[in-house]
Amino acid sequence: MKAASRTMTSAADRTQAVDDTRGRPAARAALVAVPVLVVLTAAPLVLGAYPVSTMTRILAFAVLVLSVDLLTGVTGLPTLGQAAYFGAGAYTAALVGIHLTSDALVQALAGLAAGLVTAAVTGWVAVRARGIVFLMLTLAIGESVHQVADTWSAVGASNGLAGMPPISLFGGAPLVAAGFVYWWVLAVAVIVYAAVALVVRSPYGRTLRGIRDNEPRLRALGYRPALARYGVFCMAGAVAGAGGALWAAHTRFVSPGDLGFEVAALALLSVVIGGAGSLWGPCLGAALVLLVRDNLSASIGGHGPLVLGLAFVAVVFLLPRGIAGIRRRKERLS
Amino acid sequence: MIVLSADLRMIRKSTPVLVFMAAALVLSGCAGSSLDQSSGTQSSGTVKIGLLVPLSGVYAPLGEDMSNGFKLYLDQHGGKLGGRTAEVVSADEGEGPQTGVPAAQKLVTQDQAAAVVGVVNSATALGLRDFFHESQKPLLIANAGADDITGARKSEYVWRTSFANGRVSAALGSTVAKEVKGGVYLIAADYAAGREMVAGFRKTFEAAGGKVAGEKYTPFGKTQDFQPFLSAIRGSDAKAVYSFYAGAEAVSFVKQYQQFGLSGSTPLYGTGFLTEGGVLDAQGEAAVGVKTSLHYSTELDTPRNKEFVAAYRKAYDEAPTVYAVQAYDAASVLDKALGSAPQASGAELVKALGAVGTVDSPRGQWSFDADHDAQQKYYLREVRSSGGAVVNAVVSELS
Amino acid sequence: MATYLVSVLNGLAMGALLFAIALGLSLVFGMMDVLNLAHGAVYLVGAYIAVALAADGASPAAFVLAVLLAGVAGAVLGGLLAGLTRATPHHLDQALLTLGVSLVVAETLSAVFGNDVHSIAAPAPVAGSVTVFGETYPVYRLLVIAFGLVLAAGVYVLVERSPLGSLIRATVADRGMVSALGVNTGRVLVGVFAAGAGLAAVGGVLAGPILGAQPGLDEKVLLLALVVVVIGGLGSVRGALLGAVLIGQVQALGTALLPEYASFLIFAAMGLVLLLRPAGLLPARAAVHA
Repeated sequence: MKAASRTMTSAADRTQAVDDTRGRPAARAALVAVPVLVVLTAAPLVLGAYPVSTMTRILAFAVLVLSVDLLTGVTGLPTLGQAAYFGAGAYTAALVGIHLTSDALVQALAGLAAGLVTAAVTGWVAVRARGIVFLMLTLAIGESVHQVADTWSAVGASNGLAGMPPISLFGGAPLVAAGFVYWWVLAVAVIVYAAVALVVRSPYGRTLRGIRDNEPRLRALGYRPALARYGVFCMAGAVAGAGGALWAAHTRFVSPGDLGFEVAALALLSVVIGGAGSLWGPCLGAALVLLVRDNLSASIGGHGPLVLGLAFVAVVFLLPRGIAGIRRRKERLS
Repeated sequence: MIVLSADLRMIRKSTPVLVFMAAALVLSGCAGSSLDQSSGTQSSGTVKIGLLVPLSGVYAPLGEDMSNGFKLYLDQHGGKLGGRTAEVVSADEGEGPQTGVPAAQKLVTQDQAAAVVGVVNSATALGLRDFFHESQKPLLIANAGADDITGARKSEYVWRTSFANGRVSAALGSTVAKEVKGGVYLIAADYAAGREMVAGFRKTFEAAGGKVAGEKYTPFGKTQDFQPFLSAIRGSDAKAVYSFYAGAEAVSFVKQYQQFGLSGSTPLYGTGFLTEGGVLDAQGEAAVGVKTSLHYSTELDTPRNKEFVAAYRKAYDEAPTVYAVQAYDAASVLDKALGSAPQASGAELVKALGAVGTVDSPRGQWSFDADHDAQQKYYLREVRSSGGAVVNAVVSELS
Repeated sequence: MATYLVSVLNGLAMGALLFAIALGLSLVFGMMDVLNLAHGAVYLVGAYIAVALAADGASPAAFVLAVLLAGVAGAVLGGLLAGLTRATPHHLDQALLTLGVSLVVAETLSAVFGNDVHSIAAPAPVAGSVTVFGETYPVYRLLVIAFGLVLAAGVYVLVERSPLGSLIRATVADRGMVSALGVNTGRVLVGVFAAGAGLAAVGGVLAGPILGAQPGLDEKVLLLALVVVVIGGLGSVRGALLGAVLIGQVQALGTALLPEYASFLIFAAMGLVLLLRPAGLLPARAAVHA
């Protein structure tokens, strides 16, 4: 009990500083969002295929990171299991693509549903706990799903699921060029982000933040935190599943490594680097982590993990509230 | 008024975010267009070859050997392939497709490599097949052994200079059936390669009249303690064991095979990777007597191999491994193919690869078969102690 | 039947090693609420010290030296980590920080020793095998079991019967109160951190002849240690012992009894325990709050 309450207060301390969703009109958010969206949408027109491909992967991974932030930053439940629902969505979208239809919308919805169902089935075990125990339970779920993916021949076992045809939209031609796939992934990612942001700003979101900050008080007020936690767990699973479908749409190949411990750990770390609870910070964290892992590591002869490790240590000391906390700190100082 | 200045402050505060993002984008570089499929061609003086091998992670030792083998060929031929100076661009395949696929994409779309050589992990190879097929660039696989790469998922752009899981293990089947009077226990790591190896062995083994005493798969990458399985082997009436493991599991398995008392009573057979390279050094005396099938051994007594081993030792101060030979041969195959591909475009290269003919390799003479796989000889090797070290002595050729 | 008894022995050997490794992690978590993800890297440092000094198993003296050196190196690393984590009071930050440190340490070890798998031979006098329950069994593992028993006894005496032990237990239960009594809890914490890390490194040396040394081993060991700590109860010495024995048996006996589900067994066991007892099997007794 003591450890759990200590976890909650420390999570609350951390995130209250960056929790800027109270009393902040939506108009201000839109003012920042519009130029960002313009830059993102214009990217394929100026960049080559490889950078755009990198950005597509970052966007799909950012959706996963968003689901982790929903659980960890907003509700105070640190999780290492979201990669399982991400993988469930990716495998489902790939199977739909190979056997049913290459329509991207159908695949995305199938991935979302797969993530939702998997989370609903496994979530009731996990949400009974909090803090480090919840973390370990989600790790157990993640690793178990990873094992299933690694040994089940229907999804290709350890060789993965290859041969997914390119996605198509609304009955059009297959989208093979990197830029078009990027635009689809961007559109879905933006919609998912908006939906999650709406949830966080809603009364339900306030309940979630109440669970993070002081659950006994919430219960004293008559709320049912257990139900709320289960609800957000399923929601996060659906978001992760949608991210997985986007990932599959881009890479057209899913393997067990896509839902392994490394992915889960990187997602959680992206949240911490970006600033838990702020939603947009973790997306930047996701970009940073993927860029370091994939792009930087090739140029330094395979010492990527070393750079990543040093980056983590640096971030903890230089950016204690994550990237999203930079603004807060500046405001405090002025 | 106050509201307006607050909004301006907001925009100012968000500029670090935008600058950060823009910097991140610029860092990725720009080349070509992302709204169509483009495939560049090479200038006539140099040719860019992508080398995709693991530089970090569990497979890094293999990546190092492959890199060494490839570079040795270049050094021996003045850094030229097909008459042109070869510019080798290295990329880290990492431990799996999550890092391997983006790295290959970078080599092809950003670095404009004419061909990519390497790939240790089978899942990565299978995941890259569509990309290389659609980009119309050749991929020369210098290790990944999945049967599907030249089977169900073959492509005119994917060529393999290494081996297929099913074939390298099948080579041992009839020999074991002849040598062992009794049942043979099959045990391997539970992943695609392990299952394909056992399946390949089992086919030729049973066809030659062999009897299987049991079949077990151990959790891949997670098994440090083989005692329950070794006890099960002892409990069955198996007279010999066929196994496939690689890397750390091979070390643990062979060492524990001896520690738990099986090596004296039950001969151990396996596919060559069980006792190859760094793994054999770690196993030491525990591996003596283990018989394996593989398409290469450092002890092959041919002038070509002796010359290769001496050159490799001189350059890298250690013995070569099968991985080094596979990459070395990939370089020699590219050398021949580029010689008859003046534009070095994908279509030209694959046509030239089809016409490469016999390759004179340290492992013997081999050529590409109709599925773009290496048609080659396999050798029966036995681990013997020689001059303080353990080596894979070549016992005979396997038909 | 003999097979299963031998598996039980194996489980005890693994359990002894896990106890040595997980004890420090559990105490550090229970006492300081610090999530130390660099614990696996400390273990790996010990394993590589064994590679450097005693890999060929020629002399027992070299092995003993490796054990001592690992203890010192582990303690130094533990003290360093204690200082670093003092500055970061929040779990997620600690996870990030200690993971970063573990990546740096693991990469440094890879750079120095290479990426190959290294095997360590047991010291010559005990490298052989004996017949136990009708099966051949390595002597070294029996020694590891003996070590585990000695360690458990020693830790019991230290923690339950000595003034230092009561100080440690009190600090786990209520650090504020102990500090109010005039004890420099900072030093106690650093001391426990260093001792726990030293023990983990020693575990690395002792596990060397069984597990070897290779990149990536630190993650596997860390995961097992975390499972042991969570099952046993955070901050509880008895919990760490019970958890270690249990996980050791699940791995060994479980694999012998249910080989098809071998990969799921650890997590299934953990899930089951946490469902029934969310605080762990033998949680440390915390002070009563107002």
